[in-house]
Amino acid sequence: MDFLYAMIGGLIVGALFGFVLQSGRFCMNSAFRDIILLKEFKLAKAVVIAIVVEMVGFGIFAAAGVITLSVKTFNVGGSIVGGLVFGIGMVLAAGCASGTTYRVGEGMMGSLVAAIGLTSGALATAYGLFKPAKDAIQSVTVGTKLTVFGEYDAVLTPVLMIIVGIILAVVIFFFWGLPGFKNKRASDEPLIKTDDVVTQVFKKGYPYWVAGITVGIVGIVGYLVNAGGTGALGGGGTLGITGGWMDLSLYLTTNDAVAWAGFIILGLILGSFISALIAGEFKLRIPKDGKTLLIQLIGGLIMGFGAVTAAGCNITNVLGGVPQLSIHSIVVGACIMLGCWIMTYLLFMRKED
Amino acid sequence: MVDITDTLDCSGDVCPYPDVKSKRKVKKMKSGDVLQILIDYPLSAERIPETMESLGHEVLSVEKTGNSAWTILVKIK
Repeated sequence: MDFLYAMIGGLIVGALFGFVLQSGRFCMNSAFRDIILLKEFKLAKAVVIAIVVEMVGFGIFAAAGVITLSVKTFNVGGSIVGGLVFGIGMVLAAGCASGTTYRVGEGMMGSLVAAIGLTSGALATAYGLFKPAKDAIQSVTVGTKLTVFGEYDAVLTPVLMIIVGIILAVVIFFFWGLPGFKNKRASDEPLIKTDDVVTQVFKKGYPYWVAGITVGIVGIVGYLVNAGGTGALGGGGTLGITGGWMDLSLYLTTNDAVAWAGFIILGLILGSFISALIAGEFKLRIPKDGKTLLIQLIGGLIMGFGAVTAAGCNITNVLGGVPQLSIHSIVVGACIMLGCWIMTYLLFMRKED
Repeated sequence: MVDITDTLDCSGDVCPYPDVKSKRKVKKMKSGDVLQILIDYPLSAERIPETMESLGHEVLSVEKTGNSAWTILVKIK
Protein backbone atom coordinates (compact mmCIF):
# COMPACT_ATOMS: atom_id res chain seq x y z
CA MET A 1 0.00 0.00 0.00
CA ASP A 2 1.26 3.39 -0.88
CA PHE A 3 1.95 5.82 1.90
CA LEU A 4 -0.40 8.21 0.13
CA TYR A 5 -3.19 5.63 -0.05
CA ALA A 6 -2.82 4.89 3.67
CA MET A 7 -2.79 8.57 4.47
CA ILE A 8 -5.80 9.66 2.44
CA GLY A 9 -7.80 6.49 3.09
CA GLY A 10 -6.98 6.52 6.80
CA LEU A 11 -7.81 10.19 7.23
CA ILE A 12 -11.15 9.90 5.41
CA VAL A 13 -12.26 6.70 7.16
CA GLY A 14 -11.02 8.09 10.49
CA ALA A 15 -12.92 11.33 9.96
CA LEU A 16 -16.14 9.45 9.15
CA PHE A 17 -15.59 7.29 12.22
CA GLY A 18 -15.00 10.32 14.45
CA PHE A 19 -18.06 12.06 13.04
CA VAL A 20 -20.44 9.18 13.78
CA LEU A 21 -18.84 8.39 17.16
CA GLN A 22 -19.32 11.99 18.29
CA SER A 23 -22.82 12.34 16.87
CA GLY A 24 -23.85 8.95 18.26
CA ARG A 25 -22.08 9.48 21.65
CA PHE A 26 -20.72 6.03 20.92
CA CYS A 27 -18.67 5.01 23.94
CA MET A 28 -18.54 1.46 25.24
CA ASN A 29 -17.59 2.61 28.72
CA SER A 30 -20.90 4.50 28.93
CA ALA A 31 -22.71 1.65 27.19
CA PHE A 32 -21.55 -1.09 29.56
CA ARG A 33 -21.49 1.05 32.69
CA ASP A 34 -25.00 2.42 32.30
CA ILE A 35 -26.52 -1.05 32.11
CA ILE A 36 -25.94 -1.34 35.86
CA LEU A 37 -25.51 2.30 36.91
CA LEU A 38 -28.52 3.95 35.29
CA LYS A 39 -30.39 0.87 34.03
CA GLU A 40 -30.13 2.58 30.66
CA PHE A 41 -29.68 0.39 27.58
CA LYS A 42 -29.65 2.73 24.59
CA LEU A 43 -25.89 2.82 24.03
CA ALA A 44 -25.59 -0.89 24.72
CA LYS A 45 -28.22 -1.46 22.04
CA ALA A 46 -26.22 0.76 19.68
CA VAL A 47 -23.15 -1.45 20.29
CA VAL A 48 -25.17 -4.61 19.56
CA ILE A 49 -26.62 -3.11 16.37
CA ALA A 50 -23.16 -2.04 15.14
CA ILE A 51 -21.90 -5.60 15.74
CA VAL A 52 -24.79 -7.12 13.78
CA VAL A 53 -24.42 -4.68 10.86
CA GLU A 54 -20.72 -5.54 10.65
CA MET A 55 -21.37 -9.26 10.99
CA VAL A 56 -23.54 -9.25 7.89
CA GLY A 57 -21.31 -6.77 6.02
CA PHE A 58 -18.00 -8.51 6.78
CA GLY A 59 -19.67 -11.83 5.97
CA ILE A 60 -20.91 -10.68 2.56
CA PHE A 61 -17.60 -9.14 1.48
CA ALA A 62 -15.62 -12.11 2.80
CA ALA A 63 -17.91 -14.58 1.00
CA ALA A 64 -17.49 -12.54 -2.18
CA GLY A 65 -13.71 -12.75 -1.77
CA VAL A 66 -13.25 -8.98 -1.45
CA ILE A 67 -11.78 -9.16 2.04
CA THR A 68 -10.02 -11.81 4.09
CA LEU A 69 -11.29 -12.19 7.64
CA SER A 70 -8.96 -11.59 10.56
CA VAL A 71 -10.13 -13.94 13.31
CA LYS A 72 -7.76 -13.85 16.27
CA THR A 73 -6.11 -16.82 17.94
CA PHE A 74 -7.89 -17.59 21.20
CA ASN A 75 -5.49 -16.50 23.90
CA VAL A 76 -6.94 -17.67 27.20
CA GLY A 77 -4.99 -15.56 29.68
CA GLY A 78 -4.71 -12.56 27.38
CA SER A 79 -8.40 -12.36 26.68
CA ILE A 80 -9.52 -12.81 30.30
CA VAL A 81 -6.89 -10.74 32.11
CA GLY A 82 -6.54 -8.16 29.35
CA GLY A 83 -10.31 -7.72 29.07
CA LEU A 84 -10.83 -7.35 32.83
CA VAL A 85 -7.94 -4.90 33.18
CA PHE A 86 -9.15 -2.89 30.18
CA GLY A 87 -12.67 -2.72 31.63
CA ILE A 88 -11.37 -1.50 34.99
CA GLY A 89 -9.11 1.06 33.30
CA MET A 90 -11.79 2.54 31.08
CA VAL A 91 -14.02 3.43 34.03
CA LEU A 92 -11.12 5.32 35.62
CA ALA A 93 -10.19 6.93 32.29
CA ALA A 94 -13.86 7.98 31.83
CA GLY A 95 -14.00 6.50 28.35
CA CYS A 96 -13.04 3.45 26.32
CA ALA A 97 -10.37 3.71 23.64
CA SER A 98 -12.75 5.13 21.04
CA GLY A 99 -14.69 7.27 23.54
CA THR A 100 -11.49 8.78 24.85
CA THR A 101 -10.26 9.54 21.32
CA TYR A 102 -13.44 11.18 20.02
CA ARG A 103 -13.69 13.30 23.19
CA VAL A 104 -10.26 14.73 22.43
CA GLY A 105 -11.93 16.16 19.32
CA GLU A 106 -14.71 17.63 21.49
CA GLY A 107 -12.05 19.52 23.43
CA MET A 108 -12.06 17.44 26.61
CA MET A 109 -8.52 17.77 27.88
CA GLY A 110 -9.06 15.09 30.52
CA SER A 111 -9.55 12.64 27.66
CA LEU A 112 -6.32 13.85 26.04
CA VAL A 113 -4.53 13.01 29.29
CA ALA A 114 -6.25 9.59 29.29
CA ALA A 115 -5.14 9.06 25.67
CA ILE A 116 -1.53 9.85 26.59
CA GLY A 117 -1.85 7.33 29.41
CA LEU A 118 -3.32 4.76 27.01
CA THR A 119 -0.45 5.25 24.54
CA SER A 120 2.25 5.02 27.23
CA GLY A 121 0.68 1.98 28.86
CA ALA A 122 0.31 0.25 25.50
CA LEU A 123 3.91 0.95 24.44
CA ALA A 124 5.28 -0.19 27.81
CA THR A 125 3.30 -3.43 27.47
CA ALA A 126 4.21 -4.10 23.84
CA TYR A 127 7.91 -3.24 24.03
CA GLY A 128 8.98 -2.17 27.52
CA LEU A 129 8.59 -2.56 31.24
CA PHE A 130 5.36 -4.57 31.23
CA LYS A 131 6.26 -6.82 28.30
CA PRO A 132 7.40 -9.79 30.47
CA ALA A 133 4.11 -9.68 32.38
CA LYS A 134 2.12 -9.59 29.15
CA ASP A 135 4.15 -12.44 27.63
CA ALA A 136 3.56 -14.59 30.73
CA ILE A 137 -0.20 -13.91 30.68
CA GLN A 138 -0.40 -14.64 26.95
CA SER A 139 1.43 -17.98 27.09
CA VAL A 140 -1.63 -20.24 26.68
CA THR A 141 -3.49 -20.37 23.37
CA VAL A 142 -6.28 -22.65 22.18
CA GLY A 143 -6.68 -23.50 18.51
CA THR A 144 -5.41 -21.18 15.82
CA LYS A 145 -8.39 -19.07 14.83
CA LEU A 146 -11.23 -20.32 16.97
CA THR A 147 -14.77 -19.14 16.19
CA VAL A 148 -18.11 -19.96 17.80
CA PHE A 149 -18.51 -22.71 15.20
CA GLY A 150 -15.06 -24.23 15.58
CA GLU A 151 -11.91 -23.39 13.67
CA TYR A 152 -12.08 -20.54 11.16
CA ASP A 153 -12.88 -21.71 7.65
CA ALA A 154 -12.45 -19.33 4.72
CA VAL A 155 -15.64 -20.58 3.05
CA LEU A 156 -17.87 -21.56 5.95
CA THR A 157 -17.23 -18.76 8.47
CA PRO A 158 -18.48 -15.89 6.25
CA VAL A 159 -21.66 -17.85 5.44
CA LEU A 160 -22.29 -18.53 9.13
CA MET A 161 -21.68 -14.85 9.89
CA ILE A 162 -24.31 -13.82 7.36
CA ILE A 163 -26.82 -16.35 8.73
CA VAL A 164 -26.25 -15.48 12.40
CA GLY A 165 -26.21 -11.77 11.55
CA ILE A 166 -29.53 -11.90 9.73
CA ILE A 167 -31.16 -13.94 12.52
CA LEU A 168 -29.93 -11.42 15.09
CA ALA A 169 -31.10 -8.51 12.93
CA VAL A 170 -34.61 -9.99 12.73
CA VAL A 171 -34.71 -10.63 16.49
CA ILE A 172 -33.49 -7.10 17.22
CA PHE A 173 -36.04 -5.57 14.86
CA PHE A 174 -38.80 -7.60 16.47
CA PHE A 175 -37.94 -6.65 20.05
CA TRP A 176 -36.51 -3.13 19.71
CA GLY A 177 -37.77 -1.84 16.37
CA LEU A 178 -41.42 -2.88 16.31
CA PRO A 179 -42.49 -1.38 19.67
CA GLY A 180 -41.03 1.94 18.52
CA PHE A 181 -42.90 1.80 15.20
CA LYS A 182 -46.15 1.02 16.97
CA ASN A 183 -45.71 3.93 19.36
CA LYS A 184 -45.03 6.32 16.53
CA ARG A 185 -47.99 5.10 14.52
CA ALA A 186 -50.23 5.46 17.55
CA SER A 187 -49.09 9.03 18.11
CA ASP A 188 -49.23 9.90 14.39
CA GLU A 189 -45.56 10.82 14.30
CA PRO A 190 -43.77 10.25 11.00
CA LEU A 191 -41.54 7.17 11.07
CA ILE A 192 -38.56 9.13 9.85
CA LYS A 193 -38.46 12.87 10.20
CA THR A 194 -37.44 14.22 6.84
CA ASP A 195 -38.39 17.83 7.41
CA ASP A 196 -34.92 18.97 8.38
CA VAL A 197 -32.27 16.48 7.36
CA VAL A 198 -29.38 18.89 7.90
CA THR A 199 -30.34 19.45 11.54
CA GLN A 200 -30.77 15.72 12.12
CA VAL A 201 -27.42 14.78 10.59
CA PHE A 202 -25.23 17.58 11.81
CA LYS A 203 -26.75 19.35 14.79
CA LYS A 204 -28.25 16.67 17.00
CA GLY A 205 -27.15 13.56 18.83
CA TYR A 206 -28.22 10.46 16.90
CA PRO A 207 -30.86 8.04 18.20
CA TYR A 208 -29.20 4.83 19.35
CA TRP A 209 -30.18 2.76 16.30
CA VAL A 210 -28.81 5.39 13.88
CA ALA A 211 -25.60 5.46 15.93
CA GLY A 212 -25.33 1.67 15.77
CA ILE A 213 -25.99 1.42 12.03
CA THR A 214 -23.65 4.28 11.05
CA VAL A 215 -20.80 3.00 13.25
CA GLY A 216 -21.30 -0.46 11.73
CA ILE A 217 -21.21 0.89 8.18
CA VAL A 218 -18.05 2.91 8.84
CA GLY A 219 -16.49 -0.27 10.26
CA ILE A 220 -17.26 -2.10 7.02
CA VAL A 221 -16.01 0.79 4.85
CA GLY A 222 -12.82 0.87 6.93
CA TYR A 223 -12.20 -2.84 6.34
CA LEU A 224 -12.78 -2.44 2.59
CA VAL A 225 -10.51 0.59 2.24
CA ASN A 226 -7.79 -1.05 4.34
CA ALA A 227 -8.04 -4.20 2.21
CA GLY A 228 -7.02 -2.09 -0.78
CA GLY A 229 -3.44 -2.00 0.42
CA THR A 230 -0.72 -4.45 1.31
CA GLY A 231 2.04 -4.85 3.87
CA ALA A 232 2.48 -2.85 7.05
CA LEU A 233 0.50 0.07 5.69
CA GLY A 234 -2.69 -1.90 5.13
CA GLY A 235 -3.60 -5.33 3.91
CA GLY A 236 -7.02 -5.67 5.47
CA GLY A 237 -8.24 -5.68 9.01
CA THR A 238 -10.69 -4.10 11.34
CA LEU A 239 -10.49 -0.60 12.72
CA GLY A 240 -8.50 -0.17 15.90
CA ILE A 241 -7.62 2.63 18.26
CA THR A 242 -4.77 1.64 20.55
CA GLY A 243 -2.46 0.56 17.71
CA GLY A 244 -3.03 3.92 16.04
CA TRP A 245 -2.00 5.89 19.11
CA MET A 246 1.12 3.71 19.42
CA ASP A 247 1.84 4.29 15.74
CA LEU A 248 1.68 8.07 16.17
CA SER A 249 3.84 7.93 19.27
CA LEU A 250 6.49 5.81 17.55
CA TYR A 251 6.50 8.28 14.66
CA LEU A 252 7.15 11.14 17.08
CA THR A 253 9.83 9.39 19.09
CA THR A 254 11.57 7.10 16.61
CA ASN A 255 10.67 8.50 13.19
CA ASP A 256 8.91 5.26 12.32
CA ALA A 257 6.57 6.21 9.45
CA VAL A 258 2.92 6.85 10.27
CA ALA A 259 0.81 4.01 8.93
CA TRP A 260 -2.89 3.48 8.28
CA ALA A 261 -3.76 3.06 11.99
CA GLY A 262 -2.13 6.35 12.92
CA PHE A 263 -3.98 8.24 10.21
CA ILE A 264 -7.23 6.72 11.49
CA ILE A 265 -6.58 8.42 14.85
CA LEU A 266 -5.74 11.79 13.27
CA GLY A 267 -8.83 11.56 11.07
CA LEU A 268 -10.99 10.45 13.99
CA ILE A 269 -10.05 13.45 16.11
CA LEU A 270 -10.59 15.76 13.13
CA GLY A 271 -13.99 14.22 12.32
CA SER A 272 -15.13 14.45 15.92
CA PHE A 273 -13.89 18.04 16.11
CA ILE A 274 -15.86 19.00 12.98
CA SER A 275 -18.98 17.20 14.24
CA ALA A 276 -18.75 18.88 17.66
CA LEU A 277 -18.03 22.27 16.13
CA ILE A 278 -21.08 22.16 13.84
CA ALA A 279 -23.32 20.97 16.69
CA GLY A 280 -22.01 23.72 18.99
CA GLU A 281 -20.51 21.13 21.31
CA PHE A 282 -16.84 21.99 21.04
CA LYS A 283 -15.17 23.60 24.02
CA LEU A 284 -11.70 23.23 25.49
CA ARG A 285 -12.35 22.12 29.04
CA ILE A 286 -10.69 20.41 31.99
CA PRO A 287 -12.00 18.55 35.01
CA LYS A 288 -12.37 20.84 38.03
CA ASP A 289 -9.82 19.10 40.21
CA GLY A 290 -6.37 17.72 39.57
CA LYS A 291 -7.28 14.41 41.16
CA THR A 292 -9.71 13.60 38.34
CA LEU A 293 -7.01 14.31 35.78
CA LEU A 294 -4.55 12.03 37.60
CA ILE A 295 -7.15 9.24 37.81
CA GLN A 296 -7.81 9.59 34.06
CA LEU A 297 -4.08 9.28 33.36
CA ILE A 298 -3.80 6.14 35.51
CA GLY A 299 -6.98 4.76 33.93
CA GLY A 300 -5.43 5.32 30.51
CA LEU A 301 -2.24 3.50 31.50
CA ILE A 302 -4.25 0.52 32.83
CA MET A 303 -6.34 0.51 29.64
CA GLY A 304 -3.16 0.48 27.53
CA PHE A 305 -1.86 -2.59 29.37
CA GLY A 306 -5.24 -4.31 28.96
CA ALA A 307 -5.52 -3.49 25.27
CA VAL A 308 -2.13 -4.91 24.32
CA THR A 309 -2.54 -7.96 26.58
CA ALA A 310 -5.98 -8.68 25.06
CA ALA A 311 -4.56 -8.19 21.53
CA GLY A 312 -6.79 -5.22 20.93
CA CYS A 313 -8.93 -2.57 22.58
CA ASN A 314 -12.71 -2.55 22.65
CA ILE A 315 -12.95 -1.42 19.02
CA THR A 316 -10.63 -4.12 17.65
CA ASN A 317 -12.24 -6.87 19.69
CA VAL A 318 -15.88 -5.92 20.26
CA LEU A 319 -16.48 -4.11 16.95
CA GLY A 320 -13.93 -6.01 14.87
CA GLY A 321 -13.65 -9.51 16.31
CA VAL A 322 -17.11 -10.26 17.71
CA PRO A 323 -18.77 -9.80 14.28
CA GLN A 324 -16.33 -12.43 12.98
CA LEU A 325 -17.61 -14.79 15.71
CA SER A 326 -14.12 -14.94 17.22
CA ILE A 327 -14.07 -16.70 20.59
CA HIS A 328 -11.09 -14.61 21.65
CA SER A 329 -12.92 -11.35 20.99
CA ILE A 330 -16.15 -12.55 22.60
CA VAL A 331 -14.26 -13.47 25.79
CA VAL A 332 -12.44 -10.10 25.72
CA GLY A 333 -15.75 -8.27 25.27
CA ALA A 334 -17.40 -10.14 28.15
CA CYS A 335 -14.41 -9.51 30.42
CA ILE A 336 -14.29 -5.80 29.48
CA MET A 337 -17.95 -5.57 30.50
CA LEU A 338 -17.29 -7.45 33.76
CA GLY A 339 -14.26 -5.30 34.61
CA CYS A 340 -16.30 -2.20 33.87
CA TRP A 341 -19.10 -3.37 36.16
CA ILE A 342 -16.73 -4.22 39.03
CA MET A 343 -15.10 -0.78 38.89
CA THR A 344 -18.41 1.04 38.42
CA TYR A 345 -19.78 -0.71 41.50
CA LEU A 346 -16.74 0.18 43.58
CA LEU A 347 -16.62 3.81 42.43
CA PHE A 348 -20.21 4.90 42.02
CA MET A 349 -22.64 2.45 43.56
CA ARG A 350 -21.19 1.13 46.81
CA LYS A 351 -21.32 4.46 48.61
CA GLU A 352 -24.83 5.32 47.48
CA ASP A 353 -27.49 5.68 50.23
CA MET B 1 -40.05 32.40 36.29
CA VAL B 2 -39.58 29.50 38.63
CA ASP B 3 -37.82 29.79 41.95
CA ILE B 4 -34.63 27.82 41.85
CA THR B 5 -34.03 26.02 45.12
CA ASP B 6 -30.52 24.82 44.44
CA THR B 7 -27.89 24.71 41.73
CA LEU B 8 -25.63 21.79 40.83
CA ASP B 9 -22.63 22.85 38.77
CA CYS B 10 -21.31 19.89 36.78
CA SER B 11 -19.22 21.85 34.31
CA GLY B 12 -15.92 20.17 33.64
CA ASP B 13 -17.10 16.90 35.15
CA VAL B 14 -16.30 13.72 33.27
CA CYS B 15 -18.59 10.88 32.43
CA PRO B 16 -20.56 9.70 34.48
CA TYR B 17 -20.20 12.18 37.37
CA PRO B 18 -22.90 14.60 36.12
CA ASP B 19 -25.41 11.75 36.02
CA VAL B 20 -24.40 10.30 39.38
CA LYS B 21 -24.22 13.68 41.14
CA SER B 22 -27.61 14.82 39.89
CA LYS B 23 -29.19 11.51 40.86
CA ARG B 24 -27.78 11.77 44.37
CA LYS B 25 -28.71 15.44 44.65
CA VAL B 26 -32.39 15.03 43.82
CA LYS B 27 -32.67 12.27 46.41
CA LYS B 28 -31.85 14.79 49.12
CA MET B 29 -34.29 17.44 47.91
CA LYS B 30 -37.89 18.03 48.94
CA SER B 31 -40.99 17.68 46.83
CA GLY B 32 -41.68 20.84 44.82
CA ASP B 33 -38.05 22.00 44.96
CA VAL B 34 -36.46 23.09 41.70
CA LEU B 35 -32.91 22.02 40.88
CA GLN B 36 -30.82 23.82 38.31
CA ILE B 37 -28.12 21.65 36.73
CA LEU B 38 -25.29 23.28 34.77
CA ILE B 39 -23.56 20.91 32.41
CA ASP B 40 -21.04 20.94 29.56
CA TYR B 41 -21.00 17.29 28.53
CA PRO B 42 -23.28 16.44 25.56
CA LEU B 43 -24.13 12.84 26.48
CA SER B 44 -25.21 13.78 30.01
CA ALA B 45 -27.19 16.76 28.73
CA GLU B 46 -29.30 14.30 26.77
CA ARG B 47 -29.39 11.60 29.39
CA ILE B 48 -30.01 13.50 32.64
CA PRO B 49 -33.46 14.73 31.54
CA GLU B 50 -34.36 11.14 30.58
CA THR B 51 -33.09 9.80 33.91
CA MET B 52 -34.98 12.49 35.83
CA GLU B 53 -38.20 11.71 34.04
CA SER B 54 -37.79 7.99 34.63
CA LEU B 55 -37.36 8.80 38.35
CA GLY B 56 -40.69 10.61 38.17
CA HIS B 57 -39.40 14.19 38.42
CA GLU B 58 -40.61 16.92 36.08
CA VAL B 59 -38.09 18.37 33.62
CA LEU B 60 -39.10 22.03 33.28
CA SER B 61 -36.57 23.01 30.65
CA VAL B 62 -33.35 22.04 28.88
CA GLU B 63 -31.70 25.14 27.50
CA LYS B 64 -28.52 25.28 25.44
CA THR B 65 -26.75 28.33 26.81
CA GLY B 66 -23.60 28.32 24.71
CA ASN B 67 -20.93 26.14 23.15
CA SER B 68 -21.31 22.79 24.84
CA ALA B 69 -23.20 24.34 27.76
CA TRP B 70 -26.66 23.44 28.95
CA THR B 71 -28.91 24.44 31.84
CA ILE B 72 -31.45 21.88 32.98
CA LEU B 73 -34.30 22.71 35.37
CA VAL B 74 -35.88 19.83 37.26
CA LYS B 75 -38.86 20.00 39.59
CA ILE B 76 -38.77 17.32 42.27
CA LYS B 77 -41.86 15.14 42.46
